[in-house]
Parts: sequence; C-alpha cells; structure tokens
Amino acid sequence: MSSTAPEMGGRRDASFEREPARRVFASELRECRYQFKDGEDEKSPTFVLLPTGERSNRIFISGTLTEKSRQGEQNVFYRGRVIDPTGTFFVMAGSYQPEAMQQLAKIETPAFVSVTGKPNLYQKPDGSYLVSVRVESITVVEKETRDLWVLDTAARTLDRLDALATGTSPDITKAKEQYPMLDPAVYRKNVFDALAQIKM
Amino acid sequence: MDYSEATERISRKYAKTGHEIDRQKIEGKLRRLVEEFGVQPAEAERSVTNELNKEFNITPAGVPGTPGPAGGATSEKKIADARPGDWVTIEGKVVSLSAPASPAIAQSGILADESGAIRFVVWAKSNAPKMDEGAWYRLDSAVVDEYKNIPNLKVHSGTTITAIDRTDPLIPAPCAIKDLHPGIGSVRAKVVQEWDTTHDRMLQSGLIGDETGTVKFIIWKEQGKEKLAVGAVYSIFYAQADEFNERLSLNITGAAIMQEEGDIATVTGGDTEVRGALVHIAPGSGIIKRCPVPGCNRALSRQNYCPIHEIQPRFEYDLRIKGWLDDGEKTHNILLKRDVVEPLTGMTLDQAKEIAENNPLGMDEVFLQMRDRVLGRYVVCKGREIENRLLVNTCEKMHFESGEHAKLLNRAGGAS
Repeated sequence: MSSTAPEMGGRRDASFEREPARRVFASELRECRYQFKDGEDEKSPTFVLLPTGERSNRIFISGTLTEKSRQGEQNVFYRGRVIDPTGTFFVMAGSYQPEAMQQLAKIETPAFVSVTGKPNLYQKPDGSYLVSVRVESITVVEKETRDLWVLDTAARTLDRLDALATGTSPDITKAKEQYPMLDPAVYRKNVFDALAQIKM
Repeated sequence: MDYSEATERISRKYAKTGHEIDRQKIEGKLRRLVEEFGVQPAEAERSVTNELNKEFNITPAGVPGTPGPAGGATSEKKIADARPGDWVTIEGKVVSLSAPASPAIAQSGILADESGAIRFVVWAKSNAPKMDEGAWYRLDSAVVDEYKNIPNLKVHSGTTITAIDRTDPLIPAPCAIKDLHPGIGSVRAKVVQEWDTTHDRMLQSGLIGDETGTVKFIIWKEQGKEKLAVGAVYSIFYAQADEFNERLSLNITGAAIMQEEGDIATVTGGDTEVRGALVHIAPGSGIIKRCPVPGCNRALSRQNYCPIHEIQPRFEYDLRIKGWLDDGEKTHNILLKRDVVEPLTGMTLDQAKEIAENNPLGMDEVFLQMRDRVLGRYVVCKGREIENRLLVNTCEKMHFESGEHAKLLNRAGGAS
C-alpha cells in the first residue's frame, strides 16, 4: 500500500502507518492541479496537493450517490457520481477493487453513501483536468452520517485555511506556488454555504 | 604456511584471562582447518577462538570483528556502568535467585548495587562457590555480554567470587515506566488489566501502568508465585524488561513484589478517545471460531485449525471487529471485542451463530451484514492503546449536534 521512503522523516520510522483519509469538499477537490509522488520507489504513495495546502493520498467522503454505470467490455468497471453540498465527486471502481466494485454495483441510486478512496488527477484531451476517486470501500449510510461528514469536513477545511494564513509547511508553500489564483475567502464561503445547506 | 603468528595472538588473548593454552594443539588445529578443509586463515582463527571460548565458558567480548575484550584489562565498575563486552570486577548483592534454565548453569539471578542491577549466570563448569540470596559478593574478572539485548553478567572459570562483609540494605529506586529499557528495572505500578494466558506455563499476564505509561507484564509458573490483583498497586523490584519487536514486556517472575497502600489515579495509556470515521473493516471481523484448549483462545482458520493445537472441531464462537478508525489526521488500528460489537452492530452472538450456520454464505454473511451496519459511520471509541492498536472498551455512533453546527457556521462566516 505504501512504502518506506527515508525522506519522509519520522512519520515512517514505525513499521507501517496507514495514510489518513482527508476530509475535503467536492468544490475544493475539483480545483486540484498538482499531483506528486513521495519518494523514488515504485510503490511510493502518490498525493494530490489540495489547494488549501495539504497533501492527500486518501479521502473520506459522504454524500448522495445519484448515478452509477457499468462500463467496459473485458475490463468491467463502475463509475458513479457522489454529490455533496458543494459539487460532485467522480468515483470509480474496477476489477482491481473487486469488493468495492461489488459494493458499488449493488447500491440502488439515489442513496446516501460513505466512500473511502484514492484521488487521482487526470488531464483530458482538451487540456482540462479531472479528479477521480478510486473507491476502496463504499457503503450505504443514513442521512445523519452525511450531515456529520459535512460538519467534519467544514471543520477540517477551516483548520487548513487557518494554517494556510499563518503556516509555513512545505505543502503550504507548494500550494501557494501551484495555485497562484488561490483566494482563501472563496474556500471559506464554500464552507459556509455547505453548512448552510444542511439541517435548515 | 606459518601459523605461529595466529597462535601467538590467540595464546596472548587467553593468557590475559588466566587460561594456559597448548600452543602446539592450537597450531595443529589451525593447520588442519586451512590445509585440510580449505578454510580461510582468518576464518580458521575465528573458529579456533570460538572453540576455546566455549571450552572456557567465555562469551566473545565486544562486537564481532573487534578482537579481544574491549579495553583489555578488567576494571572495577558500578553495575549501571557495565556494558556488554566489558570484563569487570563488581561488588553487589544477590537480590534474587531463579531456577537455572539448563544443567550447564549452576546459578542464575540478579545482582544489584546502589547504581543498578544486572542479571547474572554462573556456569556449572566454573566450579564457583554457591552464592546466597541477600548476601554481598565481590566478583573479580566476570564478563558482561548481551542476551536478547539485555546485559548479562557471566561467571566463568576465570572469575573469583569472594563473600564480603556488607549488610547495608539496598533500596532500589523505582523508575518511570516510560523510562524502562531492556535490562533489570524497578517500578511502582498499578495492575490495570489481566489478559487470558497464552501458554500453559504462564501464571498471569496483563498490563501495569503508572503516570507515565503502561507496559505488559508476565509471571511464569514457579513455586511460590502468586497472581497480582487487578486494580492494586505494587512496588516491583528487580523485574526483567525484555524487548521483542521494539516492545518492552516486564517479566516479574523473579522480582520482589510488595503490595502498596494508595492508588495511582491517572494511569496513562488508560483512556484514549478517538473520534472519526470507520474507513475499513478488515478480514477476520464478524463471527470467528476460537480454540477451546484452556488458555489458548486463538482464532481458528476456516478449517478449524489452531496454529498450536491443530484441528479443533469443538471450537467456540466469538465476535470481533478489526479495522481502521480515521480522524482525518491519523488512522487508528482498532480492535472491538464481542461486548463492544454487539451493541454497535445490533447483532448478538446468538444471532450471528444462527446466520453463520444457516445462511449459504455462512460466516461471510455475518461479516457483510456487520460491515454494512458500521462501515463509513462516525463513531467515538474509547480504549487503551497497546502496540499501535486501540483495544476498544466502548464504541458509540456519533450524533449530529446543532450546537457544533452553529459554531462552525460562525467560524466560517466570521472572517468574511
């Protein structure tokens, strides 16, 4: 899953540390333009850099699965759209994630779902970018879970925005470099709007 | 080829420790190894040295590749300063004697002075006089080596033991659990958990803790050994801290144990609370079968196979959930036992048994149903973190709090 890259410093000294699943709204994930690998090894983890200045190898989302479709002839895979208060996550599960694929195949849309997965950045032929989430697991959940996720993601996003204002971590510096149009006020407003949409 | 140089080196080395060796015999052995068996000369010298070490019950001093005992001469040392590879002269009190693990060992136990304590072994071949528990001795020319990362004092035939006239009491200073390191240590700690024993010879195992941390403890079955009471506080003098997989465990079989008045109120590592989402439920969760052999309790494989006791058709069922709880910053490896799984999933052991025995998917069906009920949910887990895994005592689903919602709305809107 992930490897031991010496340049990671203390984080990987222990036998194995699983990459945490970041909480991010669709509107922010959609803006990702920079993906990098940490370390030289073939199995080194790949991260997308969130515009708010945090690396993410895995994300946890909760929202409404509105569509799913089966695609491919020989290599069957499933695509789906998961909607949060700020936009759409594109999720997919293929034959390399048989369990996730079966879970996704079984779900009747629409449904509230929780998804753990790995974000990947693609550039389309027209030059635009697409962030797709490769599903590790997907489960049907209650509306309350979705609401809790919005609170959690709002809090985490605000934490990142606070750190962005004062912090000097390499990821924050990198984010300012990679996302020159970054306006923290826009992300803050997205958080407010997301919160305003639930339990009203 | 000339073997006299190597022979000279070897004989000088043993002369220092008071052993006379037959040069001709050594030279003959070297010659035979090199000429008859095609061994490299350096390797032959090493091999002969090892053979002599065995003969004299000397453990090779220093790290491999550094010839001879480190520093050469024997020096008078405090126990705390004795390092593996040292030849030492030490004055100490025999604070504990334990049953020798092998007929090659005449006596083993723990020797202490004001500075610290060390395990010692007296080889049967050394013909050393028996030492008494509680008495002081001077040990001339003993050697310190290392066994499983723990310094060990060896009494061999070159060591002289003299009883000395000291009666002053030694009061070991307990150290904080977080400061324990491989070797002999004393702690004042509270028994916080008792675990199922995993071995026939084990009397008790569990967890003890103080204000600074927790550590696993073990008592092996030996005459006169008694179990500790959960919740009680003990002073444990001269316990042996072993290291395995970078984790310490405290073997207190040979330790002096005294129950103490009073309590240690805040044992840390006691209640870790983690809030987050269950992002993964691992295989091996759901209903499992356990080995029925008393004291074993291991999870059986699908073929009812126990790694120790082989096929066990009369297994017992149990429930558990293994997985990852993720708070967005860190992922915690969690283990939920049956009494936590039942209320969380709303499935009792009896219901799970019913499904496992009657559903075509069997035990897998229980796994899938439990997974669908808890995966992707927000929970609060409280428990004890041991070896990077949270052993969960309570796990409850989180609920939406409008107060939290209002606070976040303020926080998000406040800056704009």
